[in-house]
Amino acid sequence: MSINKRITLQQAAEIIKDGSRLTFSGFTIWRRPMAIVYELIRQHRKNLHLIEVQGGSHSEFLIGAGCVDIWESCWIGHELYGKYGANLSRKVAEKQLIVEDYTHAEMMFRFAAAASGAAYGVTQTSLGTDLRNPEYDMLGRAGLRDGVRIPKHKYQFTEDPFFGAGPQILIPPAKVDIAVMCVQQVGEEGTVRINGQYYSDPEVARAADITIVMAEEIVPEEYLRRNADQNNIVSFEVDHILECPFGAHPTGMFGRYDVDGPFLKDFYGRTRTQEGFDDFAKEWIHGQDHMSYLEKLGWPRMLKLRANTALNYSVREKKGGK
Amino acid sequence: MATEYATPEEYNLADLMCCAAAREVQDNEVVFAGTGLPMVAILLAQKTHAPYLKLIFEAGTLDGRPPELPTSVGDARCEMGASRSSGLYDAFCIAQRGYVDLGFLGGAEVDEYGNVNTTCIGDYLNPELRLTGSGGNPDINSFAKRTVFIMVHEKRRFTPNVSYITSPGWRVKNWPGGEFVHRRELYGATYRGGPSAVISTAGVFRFDDVTGRIYLDTCHPGKTPEEIRDMCQFDLDISRVNGETLPPSREELRIIHEVLDPDEIFIPKVKKG
Repeated sequence: MSINKRITLQQAAEIIKDGSRLTFSGFTIWRRPMAIVYELIRQHRKNLHLIEVQGGSHSEFLIGAGCVDIWESCWIGHELYGKYGANLSRKVAEKQLIVEDYTHAEMMFRFAAAASGAAYGVTQTSLGTDLRNPEYDMLGRAGLRDGVRIPKHKYQFTEDPFFGAGPQILIPPAKVDIAVMCVQQVGEEGTVRINGQYYSDPEVARAADITIVMAEEIVPEEYLRRNADQNNIVSFEVDHILECPFGAHPTGMFGRYDVDGPFLKDFYGRTRTQEGFDDFAKEWIHGQDHMSYLEKLGWPRMLKLRANTALNYSVREKKGGK
Repeated sequence: MATEYATPEEYNLADLMCCAAAREVQDNEVVFAGTGLPMVAILLAQKTHAPYLKLIFEAGTLDGRPPELPTSVGDARCEMGASRSSGLYDAFCIAQRGYVDLGFLGGAEVDEYGNVNTTCIGDYLNPELRLTGSGGNPDINSFAKRTVFIMVHEKRRFTPNVSYITSPGWRVKNWPGGEFVHRRELYGATYRGGPSAVISTAGVFRFDDVTGRIYLDTCHPGKTPEEIRDMCQFDLDISRVNGETLPPSREELRIIHEVLDPDEIFIPKVKKG
């Protein structure tokens, strides 16, 4: 038995320091580590540098709360519950946030490069677009490309040296300090089992220097090792674990609970302005802990979201959240 | 039995666009679909003329046959019946490898060469409005053989100069200078194709094989070519119009509203009376 990896929600947030380069599990509005995101907001974390395969509701919460200085990714919004990231949009207009745009495939390949210890990723995507516009290197414009914490270049062009397939784009590995994951099951030693699409979680966990896994449940390690072929992340890639039921709410979790559409719609509708965000945070984040948050949501709401175990999604929640 | 087409009062624009999009799909093709109307269109094709189309959702569902409409590509409903459920690395490797025949995409602005913007409105360095960003739009558009864009038709959106080229059309910028060149020239051996149609709320548009310039193919019922030309900021080619967009059939409408989207998540029903 290795060292005890269990920590509390509060400790998880404390591991993430001001200025950390941070990334997350999940996809847009699915399996985002919201309980830790809320705790980061309560602890007034500052100057975070988010590097994500794609953003989502969790990014909007952190950005709205003023925790983020740099967002390096490709997409933000709440899917059908909010068509764009209103908080990000506002902070960009006010120049309080640097956005570095990549494409979705590039961000994925950047994490795959980091996860395999490669010096760069290589792709042929998006030639001829403004993603390749040298004027639009925002971290470069801000003078932040130190080659230590932030890569020296946004990308580099090269020609295929082997088969002459033409122009190639070299993209920097997504080096991140911490990955914060939210999954269905983790073992006591850190083995992770994800149900449903695993999105970019295996690469993200492997790329990060420190990986924190928040799970719906901590299960006996030997239970997961009986069917090792069903596990997604290796024990020693995980540094810290914690159990936090409904930790992804209002985002959804395959087999456990659906996305809380009305909650996200309410967030999107109310947080176009900073005052609106602050008001929302006062209502749902500050002065709460995870249990009081769940109490505030209430059993009827949580039961409505709970997934049918045969179908893996809720049949009580009307789709679309209308 | 002859196909029974619906009369104009039996369908709305979303129905018409959904059916027009579904008809772009051929059986056995590998198709990449994003959240929203494209999802309904592809499932409609799967339940009508293209039962063996191979559906890919970007979040990691490969050759999916969802019995119920997912609310987004990350949804638990995506992977039921799929050949494989995994993650984005698989999905993008498959796309870059060249398996994808057709992708359905959206956009806020389009120019006459099919360059699409989903990133910002106004100067990128001082944007009036920051939008969602690229997502996988440029990736699918770079890797697939054909892409179809589904868009709201407003004059400001059909513009000679998009604020930001998020997704590559037929004439794209050659960096570092930024002069426009034909896509084929720039992509070299990785060239596979590009935008094949734009389905807007006004009509269906296609691109000239040689010049890559957009032209009006069909007008949605009730619209004239001249009206549609007036809804573009650029000089739309209306010399090749091929009549009206085929209306939905009654069977297609039944599948959309009774089977695929009874809760009206993406496609509203026609209000009766």
